[in-house]
Amino acid sequence: MTSIQKPPVRHPSLQSNALGLTRRDYEGAMSTLCAGCGHDSVTAAIVQAFFELDIPPHRAAKMSGIGCSSKTTAYFMRQSHGFNSVHGRMPSVASGANAANRDLIYIGISGDGDSLSIGLGQLCHAIRRNVDMLYVLENNGVYGLTKGQFSASADVGSKSKRGEPNVQKPIDPVLLALSLGATFVARGFSGDKARLVPMLKAGLTHKGFAIIDVISPCVTFNDHEGSTKSYRFTRENYHELAAVDFVPLQREITAATEAGTSVSVTMHDGSIVRFREVGSEYDPTDRDAAYAHVRTHQERGEIVTGLLYIDEQSSDMHDIAHTVERPLVELPYESLCPGREALEKLMDEYR
Amino acid sequence: MPTDVSNPQYYHKVVDCQWACPAHTNVPEYIRLIAQGRYTESYLLNRESNVFPGILGRTCDRPCEPACRRGRVDGKPVAICRLKRVAADLRDDIHEFLPAIPAQKNGKRVALVGAGPASLTVANDLMPLGYEVVIYEKHQRAGGLMRVNIPSFRLPAEVLDEETQIILDMGVDIRYETPVTSMAALLSDGYDAVFVGSGAPKGKELELPGRHETDQVFIGIEWLANVHFGHVDRIGERVLIIGVGNTAMDCCRTSRRLGGKDIKVIARRSRPYFKASPWELEDAEEEGVQIVENHSPKRFVLEKGKLVGMEMDRLRWVEQNGKQKSEILETVLLPCDSVILAIGQENSFPWIERDTGVGFDDENMPIVDKKTFASTRAGVFFGGDAAWGPENIIWAVEHGHQAAISIHNHCMGIPLDERPAYGMNLVSAKVGMHSWSYSNDYSPAPRMKMTHAELTKRFSKLSVEVELGFTLEQTVAEVERCLNCDIETHFTSNLCIECDACVDVCPVSCLTIAPDGPEPDLRTRLSAPALNLTQDVYVSAALPQTKRVMVKDEDVCLHCGLCAERCPTAAWDMRQFDLLVPYAGRRLPIATLPSGHVDRPVSAA
Amino acid sequence: MGIPVSGKNVFPSNIQGLPTWYEIRVSKDGHTARPAHIDLVVALNPATYAKDVAAVRPGGWLLYDSSWPLDQALAREDITILGVPFGRLCVEAFTGDRERTLMRNIAYTGALVALLDIDMDVLGEMIREQFAKKRALLDSNFRALHLGYDYAKKHFPCPLPIRLERMNASREHVLMDGNTAAALGCLYAGATVGAWYPITPATSLMEAFTGLCKRYRVDPETKRNNYCILQAEDELAAAGITIGAGWAGARAFTSTAGPGISLMSEFIGLAYYTEIPGVFFDIQRTGPSTGMPTRTQQADLLSIAYLSHGDTKHIALFPADPGECFYMSLAAFDLAERFQTPVFVVSDLDIGMNDWMVKRLTWDDNYRPDRGKVLDAEQLERIQRFSRYLDVDGDGIAARSLPGVHPKGAYFVRGSGHDKHGAYTEDAAEYQEVVDRLAKKLKTAEEAVPAPEIHQRNGATAPIGLVALGGTHAAMLEARAVLAGQDINVDYMRIKAFPFGEAVRHFLDAHETVFVVEQNRDAQLRSLLTIETGVPRDRLTPILDYGGLPLTAERVIGDVARHLEASVA
Repeated sequence: MTSIQKPPVRHPSLQSNALGLTRRDYEGAMSTLCAGCGHDSVTAAIVQAFFELDIPPHRAAKMSGIGCSSKTTAYFMRQSHGFNSVHGRMPSVASGANAANRDLIYIGISGDGDSLSIGLGQLCHAIRRNVDMLYVLENNGVYGLTKGQFSASADVGSKSKRGEPNVQKPIDPVLLALSLGATFVARGFSGDKARLVPMLKAGLTHKGFAIIDVISPCVTFNDHEGSTKSYRFTRENYHELAAVDFVPLQREITAATEAGTSVSVTMHDGSIVRFREVGSEYDPTDRDAAYAHVRTHQERGEIVTGLLYIDEQSSDMHDIAHTVERPLVELPYESLCPGREALEKLMDEYR
Repeated sequence: MPTDVSNPQYYHKVVDCQWACPAHTNVPEYIRLIAQGRYTESYLLNRESNVFPGILGRTCDRPCEPACRRGRVDGKPVAICRLKRVAADLRDDIHEFLPAIPAQKNGKRVALVGAGPASLTVANDLMPLGYEVVIYEKHQRAGGLMRVNIPSFRLPAEVLDEETQIILDMGVDIRYETPVTSMAALLSDGYDAVFVGSGAPKGKELELPGRHETDQVFIGIEWLANVHFGHVDRIGERVLIIGVGNTAMDCCRTSRRLGGKDIKVIARRSRPYFKASPWELEDAEEEGVQIVENHSPKRFVLEKGKLVGMEMDRLRWVEQNGKQKSEILETVLLPCDSVILAIGQENSFPWIERDTGVGFDDENMPIVDKKTFASTRAGVFFGGDAAWGPENIIWAVEHGHQAAISIHNHCMGIPLDERPAYGMNLVSAKVGMHSWSYSNDYSPAPRMKMTHAELTKRFSKLSVEVELGFTLEQTVAEVERCLNCDIETHFTSNLCIECDACVDVCPVSCLTIAPDGPEPDLRTRLSAPALNLTQDVYVSAALPQTKRVMVKDEDVCLHCGLCAERCPTAAWDMRQFDLLVPYAGRRLPIATLPSGHVDRPVSAA
Repeated sequence: MGIPVSGKNVFPSNIQGLPTWYEIRVSKDGHTARPAHIDLVVALNPATYAKDVAAVRPGGWLLYDSSWPLDQALAREDITILGVPFGRLCVEAFTGDRERTLMRNIAYTGALVALLDIDMDVLGEMIREQFAKKRALLDSNFRALHLGYDYAKKHFPCPLPIRLERMNASREHVLMDGNTAAALGCLYAGATVGAWYPITPATSLMEAFTGLCKRYRVDPETKRNNYCILQAEDELAAAGITIGAGWAGARAFTSTAGPGISLMSEFIGLAYYTEIPGVFFDIQRTGPSTGMPTRTQQADLLSIAYLSHGDTKHIALFPADPGECFYMSLAAFDLAERFQTPVFVVSDLDIGMNDWMVKRLTWDDNYRPDRGKVLDAEQLERIQRFSRYLDVDGDGIAARSLPGVHPKGAYFVRGSGHDKHGAYTEDAAEYQEVVDRLAKKLKTAEEAVPAPEIHQRNGATAPIGLVALGGTHAAMLEARAVLAGQDINVDYMRIKAFPFGEAVRHFLDAHETVFVVEQNRDAQLRSLLTIETGVPRDRLTPILDYGGLPLTAERVIGDVARHLEASVA
């Protein structure tokens, strides 16, 4: 909470994007989360990503379930429609909305409780369905709103605020997504926006289901000594796979020469995701290698971050359903109703 | 290098208004006191630094306002000056809160020449220390330029009388109608120190053909003084004012009240180069005065010995080698009945003998030390317009404070350059989880517009005050526009966990956590580039987790406190900065009323 | 042959190997309800002979395969047992296990043609139609038909006293199941998003919709689909998809049965409170819990009326037959969008999965969907401030905006407490303002939903009133007719929708004795009537039939008669 709303003024040298909007125009209501919550940082990174991608705010749809993370959709892009649905079931609402209007840009915000416990099934099936959306999982290892119980992502041995260690094995959303066939899998850290923002931009541009697991410390219940999801622990055990640059289509010409030896993946719209400093030992299009890489580092107690896997060739929900390009909500009724004559003919078949 | 915020001047500079004010008036605090209805305290806080809140609340040149951060935020500074007047107008009697004057004098006698703002300030500062102060004044009343050159429709005589009298009542020995005619004689009177605060009383001449062939050409400040003393009570219908400074504004507006109907102010340059404050120009234009740009006077035109007009060159200004040069487009005749010259003032010291040890430079100006205000003769000091030519009242006041320190040092045998240091108090403004000792919410209200007396009413009598002062509603709205720049954002780097909350919440993008680097480079790597080089950037020590630094661009910080509210570790705190300004021989105690004392309810019901 | 007919498939909840019955009612009077007594049983399955023999009414007939002798213990004196050695005949006439098995069924048909005097030409035409593309099978089928026909003609006195006669009573009718008709309604309503999770007896609705879409909804130019059907991971997701699509502006629906309704409960509360349209088909089956999935019931009434936690209330439509499934599907979409709320079409297994003879469905090409109050970009541009939940017109219905249309239309859908602007609130007055308006909206809906259908003789009110809803209609009409024949004049009101309007209350008030006939144990409709209309519970006498089979007229007649006798005594 804050005592006041964010004043509606901005820095005179704040930049505008291609739409003439500033970062401030992508903000939402004031956060009511605890001061220092990682989620607020993710919110700011999302604001930055949408701003940099020149997305008209009202063409984005913000989807969420229930929990601290899910509240954050109110905190960015006040000119976007938002849908704060029920606990763990945002993926289905997003699927339905996307089925109806495929032209909107969908961003889902969830947390480790919302995604990995009550909503695990819906998450898995959204991945299977390959709904075209960015799914941000704000992962802090605890239930914040109910005051600090371990979540399904808490590491074995990680201590609660009262000092009790967690004993149940965690579900790692990255490994889960990789094994379910997700077509864009990444992990970021709320405390590292420089790397998170390009990742979010790539995820928003990806065609299909893009999941980014963002380690987002809970300052109130999980930022203490002994926690494996604290700011300090994450920074100390952070293993950056490769920073990515997101090169939007229209700016590619000027940046092309810098490509050099780095690995790059062309997105469906022609923009490019470029992996910096990754060299030849990592292939972000090799699912098995990605899985092995995460596991290997996990054994060493390291948290692998970065854009771990990407497949731009896959079919998304609408490809699978063979839906028309035009959003279903825009189809005129006349093109949907077969009319009287057709019904009469059909009735003859039921005599 | 981390910024050293233990130096009071770092945070002082953040308080733009206070920094810009020659007397370093604690503006945000006095505005807050007004907001709380504590007018008397607000007045006293003002008085401590600027001595004449009631006068300055109407007439100050307001160097604080162009500096005001609010102006960089929404284009219009807080109406600092007019809020000062609110405090002066609504205060109670302050006599009980004035410093006590010792009955037992310290044995030192000081002579002050002229009873203008500089001398009165010296007296104000020295009287409580036990000095015997004698003021020599050529007119019948104290106030100097404030009295004879500022028309009463801008500054009512009662206000002037009251604020000068407060000082005189400290026991000053003022000798009216006693012009000093010889410095040598004065020095021989055995004063321990002499302060020359006699102003720059000589208006500049304009020697053009026809100047002395008519009695309808006047020198501005002299003419204003004559109006003040009642020697002049009318002027021609068509009046030309030559010059476009603040004196010109007073002249044209006074003319308007003495029968002038067609009044033109003639300027050689175009509007951006005018010396007059924009608000004075606005006020003049509101009264029907015409401002004529790019005209250069050529000669006075007389017919049968009667002034009928002035010939002028109409100019065009072009840039040549980086300098503005004029080209004459044509010559025009502007008909007129009277002309007032308002093209500047000069110092004049015919009464200082050149062998007294008081040195003069090639331009016949006294040689005065910029810091100590000392002349080349020990014990003789200058201040106000007398020192370096025309400035304004608030500068004169500051000169008076500094000269008082020097006089005191001189009398006490302390070297003049051993000046008392500035200090500061820095106290957390946090009073609860998300509550502060100040109103931290940003008010989007536009600057309040001062209400003026109706034209017919104001022209009916010379002394009808034009500005009516703020209403309670306007006061409430205007005080909320103040950004409380003295409530400083204070950072403790070793508490920071680099969660970015402050960076994310800052409405004006003035915070960044970044790898350290030289300032010019850092300025380009911020959330919003820090392009205003007149404003500092704060750089913290290396942060514990990543060794990056916290950088703050001070430029448009709203002091809303959101960074501190969102900081989970209190690394950011809002702290009230109180600049401790030194005065002669003592630090004047801020008079405080019993806590909770409210003069009047402040809510705009 | 133009004779009124209806069929009821009585089948088990199993894939293969458990017995199934198919009951056919043939009635010259046009009654299509399931009869209480069976004239002729065709016993195909030796495993159920005992049950089959017992099912025949005294004086009725049993046709069975006499290749193997019938257990003498099952023999009944009061019925005529007709044995035809179908198995042996088929073994002799056909080769291969599969053909022998399949043709045995046709041989049964042949025997029935003879016994019931069915028009051989009509049957022949049907077989030719059926196998038009499989010429090879045509000959086998005709041979099998004649095996049975000839045997029966030779051994039994044909036709039996019960027999068919050509009529002209079904010319304007079709034989159709309710799920197909409902799917057709969705197609014609312009539904574009369908979400579902397979469940008996709702599955065939979405399967029918899929078939119809493949036929009518493929864009002729791009060959791409003008629809999106998503088979979800469960009913929760199906509801979520429906709501998501409804929010985005599509006409969306899902079909399910009781267990699915239970699972959707949370989402329904969300849609109610956030005011998102959606159509939810509940093809009721026997509960509680898994219950008897292939048997019918009307036992979801109470749960649907107030589904989900907190104060909720929902619009529900009760089709009586497949014809109404079509028209009410259409109405459901219009109501859902007009009232911005979930609307239930409460059908049941009997209506949904059995073939009913209904009037040919008709269509008016002038129909345009009622999209309700939806602000377009132009209107939003003009508006000063959009408040999602502000009742401007006083009917309890606020205007909505669709995502992506205009920045000024953006708002935040939240299941948490919100004020009339859509903003989060925990303020008592602000919260109440919104939920009170919701109540008002549902009040407005009372007179907008289909009014009850009231059957009275010559417009005069009888002292006795029967009340029912849904698929019991045929049995109710038959009962009323039979009672009238016994000089018992009863009025009958068929409720077509919830919430109840003034007409429902009026009917209850106007009748001294009211019987509420329904297919559940706990008299749920009576409870709803009591809660909603305030009519004292004691004034409503329940007639409850909840064994899982369609209601028979005899059941109603018997209960009414018994009650009247008791009250006289």
